[in-house]
Amino acid sequence: MSQEEIFEQVVKILTPYVKNQEALDGVAMSTHILDELKVNSARLVDVVLEFEDAFDIEIADEDVDSVETVGNAVELIASKLA
Amino acid sequence: MTSGPTGLPQRARLSLGVQRAVCIALSPLTTLAGYLVLRAWLRLRFVGTGELRRAYRRFRRANRGAPLLICGNHLTMIDSALIAYALGSPLWYVLHFASMPWNVPDRNVFAAGPWQRALTYAFKCLPIERGGSRLEVADALARFMHLLRRGEVGLIFPEGGRSRSGRVEVENAAYGVGRIVKSVPGCRVLCVYLRGDAQREYSSLPARGDTLRARIAWIEPKTDKRGLRGSLDVSRRILVRLAELEREHFDAVA
Repeated sequence: MSQEEIFEQVVKILTPYVKNQEALDGVAMSTHILDELKVNSARLVDVVLEFEDAFDIEIADEDVDSVETVGNAVELIASKLA
Repeated sequence: MTSGPTGLPQRARLSLGVQRAVCIALSPLTTLAGYLVLRAWLRLRFVGTGELRRAYRRFRRANRGAPLLICGNHLTMIDSALIAYALGSPLWYVLHFASMPWNVPDRNVFAAGPWQRALTYAFKCLPIERGGSRLEVADALARFMHLLRRGEVGLIFPEGGRSRSGRVEVENAAYGVGRIVKSVPGCRVLCVYLRGDAQREYSSLPARGDTLRARIAWIEPKTDKRGLRGSLDVSRRILVRLAELEREHFDAVA
C-alpha cells in the first residue's frame, strides 16, 4: 500500500472525530491531530484502534506516544505494514 | 543520559528524589493543612474511615514495596485529598510517607501559576497536561510508573475527568490507567468509591458539612488482549468494579 493510499485512509478514519472542519479541508502530512484538527485527546485511542482494524495491524501503547501529526500516523502504519 | 532499572533517565530520577525529599520535609505541614481544609473549613464528615484505614494499613504492612495504584470515582476537584484522607490519618502519613499517594493532576487547572505549582509539588503531584503533547504525557506517565515500580502508591481517576452524569461512566475508560497497570509488574489496584450524601452531580468541591462514605475493593485486573485494546480492557475492568461499588453504595444508603 502506498503512502498516499494510507494517508487517504487515515484522513477518512479521522474525519468523524475532527472538530475543526476548516483544518480538515487543508489537511496535510504536517497537520497536528490534536492542536489543528481538534480531535479530543481522549478519543485518540479510538482513532488508533480504528487504524488497527482498517490496516489489520497491532499498535503498541508506546507507539501512540509518537502520533502527533497525520504524517506520524501514516509513517507508523507504513512501518507496521512493511 | 543513563537510565535506571526502571528505564527512567537519571536526571528524571534525581528530580523525583528531590521532590520526594521536599515532600517528606514538608509533610507535617501539608498533611495538617489538608486536614484543616477538609475538616475545619469544609466541615466534612467521613463515615467508616476506621475500617478503610485498617484495611489500607494491613495491605501496606503485608505488601512492603509492592506497587499499588488507587483508582477512584471522580466527582469533585479535591477527590485525591478526600480519598487520601479516607485511607489514612495525617499523622499516619507523616510516619508512613510512602503510603501517601502520588497524583497526576491537570497542569492547566492545578499548576497554572507559580504558587499552584509550588503547592502541587509539595503535595506529591506530577502535573500532566491533558490533551497536551503525547510525548510530554508519556514522560509524566513514565515518572508515575517509575514511582509505582519502586513501591510507592499512585492515585488516578480511570474516567479521565469528573463524571458529568454524577455516576461512574464505564464507557469513558481512559486507556492510560490500563497502560500503567500492564506496565508495572505485580501492580495491585485499590478501587475506592467515595461520595458525599449531598453530591448529586459533579462539582468543584463537596458541599460544606457533607457526610462522605467510601467503599473499597482490591483487584488485580488481567486481560488476554494485547496493545491498546489490552490497556483499554484493563481500564474498563477497573471502572466496572467501581460501578459495582457505586451500586452497593446506593443500595446501602437507600
